[in-house]
Amino acid sequence: MNFLLAVSSDKYSGPTLRIGSQIAKSFKAKLTIVYVGPKPKELFAGKVSFARDSLAKWKIYHPGIEVLRWAFNDLQSCGYLNKDKETTFDPINMVEGKDRYRMVLPSRNGQEVDLVLREGEIIDQLRKECNEQNYTISIIGGSKERNMAHDLIQYLPTSVFVMKNVNLKKKYNLIICVDDSSATKRAVRFVAIIAKQMGMSVTLLTVSRNETFGQDYLESAKSASSHLDSLKLSYDQKFISGDPVKTFIELAGEDHIIVMGASTRSAFAKFFLGSKPIKTLQKANCPILIVKGE
Amino acid sequence: MLINIIFWVTQRKWLIIAFLFGIVLYLFPPPQGLTLNGYRTFVILLISIMLIIFEPIPLPAVAMLILVFQVFFGIASPNEVAASFMTDAVFFIMGSLMMAVAIVSQGLDKRLALGIINITGHHTIRIVTGFVSFCAVLSSFIGEHTVTAMMMPVGLTLVRHSSDDPKKTGKLTLLILFSIAYGSAIGSIGTPSGGGRNVIMLGYLSQFEMGNLSYLQWMKYTYPILLVEIPFAIILLWWTFKPEKKTLDSAVRKLKVQVAKSGKITGRQITSISIFLFIFLGWVFLSPSVGLGIISLFGVVLYLSFGLVEWKEINRNTNWGAIMLFGSAISLGFQMKDTGAAIWVASELIEGLKILTDDIDFIRSFVSIFVTVGLTNFLSSAGTVSVLGPIVLNMGGDSIIIALSTAMASAFAYLTVVASPTCMIIHSSGLVKSSDYLRCGWKMTIMSIIILLMFIHLFWPLST
Repeated sequence: MNFLLAVSSDKYSGPTLRIGSQIAKSFKAKLTIVYVGPKPKELFAGKVSFARDSLAKWKIYHPGIEVLRWAFNDLQSCGYLNKDKETTFDPINMVEGKDRYRMVLPSRNGQEVDLVLREGEIIDQLRKECNEQNYTISIIGGSKERNMAHDLIQYLPTSVFVMKNVNLKKKYNLIICVDDSSATKRAVRFVAIIAKQMGMSVTLLTVSRNETFGQDYLESAKSASSHLDSLKLSYDQKFISGDPVKTFIELAGEDHIIVMGASTRSAFAKFFLGSKPIKTLQKANCPILIVKGE
Repeated sequence: MLINIIFWVTQRKWLIIAFLFGIVLYLFPPPQGLTLNGYRTFVILLISIMLIIFEPIPLPAVAMLILVFQVFFGIASPNEVAASFMTDAVFFIMGSLMMAVAIVSQGLDKRLALGIINITGHHTIRIVTGFVSFCAVLSSFIGEHTVTAMMMPVGLTLVRHSSDDPKKTGKLTLLILFSIAYGSAIGSIGTPSGGGRNVIMLGYLSQFEMGNLSYLQWMKYTYPILLVEIPFAIILLWWTFKPEKKTLDSAVRKLKVQVAKSGKITGRQITSISIFLFIFLGWVFLSPSVGLGIISLFGVVLYLSFGLVEWKEINRNTNWGAIMLFGSAISLGFQMKDTGAAIWVASELIEGLKILTDDIDFIRSFVSIFVTVGLTNFLSSAGTVSVLGPIVLNMGGDSIIIALSTAMASAFAYLTVVASPTCMIIHSSGLVKSSDYLRCGWKMTIMSIIILLMFIHLFWPLST
């Protein structure tokens, strides 16, 4: 597995990096830390790049390199990366690719860690990165931008983990929204791995707008509980009638991670009408993982 | 598939808007007094401005689109478009970008750093005075982005040496960076070689047969303004970004130690400076007969022939897209003149502004200065002169004064990140926010406009 973790600065991305790297470790996944910086206006891009070369001769680097240096130091201080002579951060080791710079680092558990620098509009760049590198999950911090929730879910081809309102001091538990979407089974598998490795409790939540629950919903709930039983994981199972988005958010509060399968609506319908995951991501006050694929 | 189409539409919405806007305008009949070709040229101009500002497609594509549209709409033949695309002004932009690469690659920045701090000492106000003055004078000859690229490492190293905690040097950082950027911008008006826009304006003047200005004649008009602006800029910068530290003695000492490691001046550096001085003399004495651009290209030939820079390095650091864009913008400027679009826009502007006043001189100044300043902060300085040049030169009055005031006003690019390469370069450090430009930019803009107006109305009439 290959996880992408987007960072923006030491000021805002600390908790995202810590929790994101722990989750990548749970999955024994290769972790790629990506910084996407603003792109200079194309008219001046050559002159800016020229000035940056001049700065690099004085060992003053691109601001994105400094963010990646911070991420490297943070991963070292939490033990994710080795503290030895071979594991060092040197901007000279950044290799220029098609439209990205990349540095490969060794990691303690034999897992690979890459540091990637890109420039441009964030969704466009993350989408390009995902399309080129075949990631499983993209982990990103919460954003106050109005359309960010829609754009992340709609345009990134991977599962998306948004570290919204995340706090390192909190003990998080997992709520999985079980419905008839094709991605629910995969979401349950992801939840099982995270719960087992990080010692989180699990709530299986099935919400129906009606008083009765459809056969598809009941079968999905049964399948989810069987999977957790087979792994000997303890869990709580709830069936609630009401508005799904409202129920997810109320039950999750600020100390749960919401996990849900991606909507099966068409891209066109999602663009104009939204979807349960998009609305939940917009309104929730806690981290949320939207799982794509079957 | 559908998701890719939706994503493409969201990413390229300005391309779609620009084309829909263009199609709607195209379907309307030309306004009274404007020929069909003039109207079509004007529509291409509006579409191009939208595409340059919002960048939904790469700039070289915009440049080629301008050329293609001119032929497709029957405004000019392919050979006429090709001839108007490559002018001496484009040669100059090309040559100066390449020479900048050659000059900066010699490591002269360390020599400059040592020279400045030896003169200024360790007081922050004196260091700022040194940065603004030095950047202004140097950029007047070798161009603003070259100076900013050389001076920014010096300034940032000084800031880093002054404290390990960036929070304690926030204002000092802004003061130093804006001293470099604004100093370079002020200087770019000083000579024709200070900026590509100056050469574009000179090109329009001579191509439209509205007058000629030699290198020294340009300096006679503009250099006094540059010198007057320097002390005011220092006061405004200091007033806006009062630094945390009034002296930088340990930082200066550390910088001197760092710079001293580079050793004595090398033969390559002496050759490099000599070539530039030779080119400068060429600009001064030969440009009326052979043009500024040809001399710049000869400078590049010399740098390459003496092995001071490799073609690979020049090629990597030259923005060919920007060169193409300026070439096509100038080409469009010529069509604006030839089709009568420029004179129509100029007369409509004058008629429109007569609502405010009947003073035609005031209207000319308003367009050549205020509209230029407004547009330059969104479209970039060279882009503004390419677009506005043919229009302002067709407003009547003294074309030399109009050309100079427009070229100079386009250097008052203090308000936004995208206004000029210097603003963009300091922003790329990650240490300057977009809002920081407004903090001192509005003061600099007012100061520069007042000084320019004083020179136009009080001093220039005495020297003509």
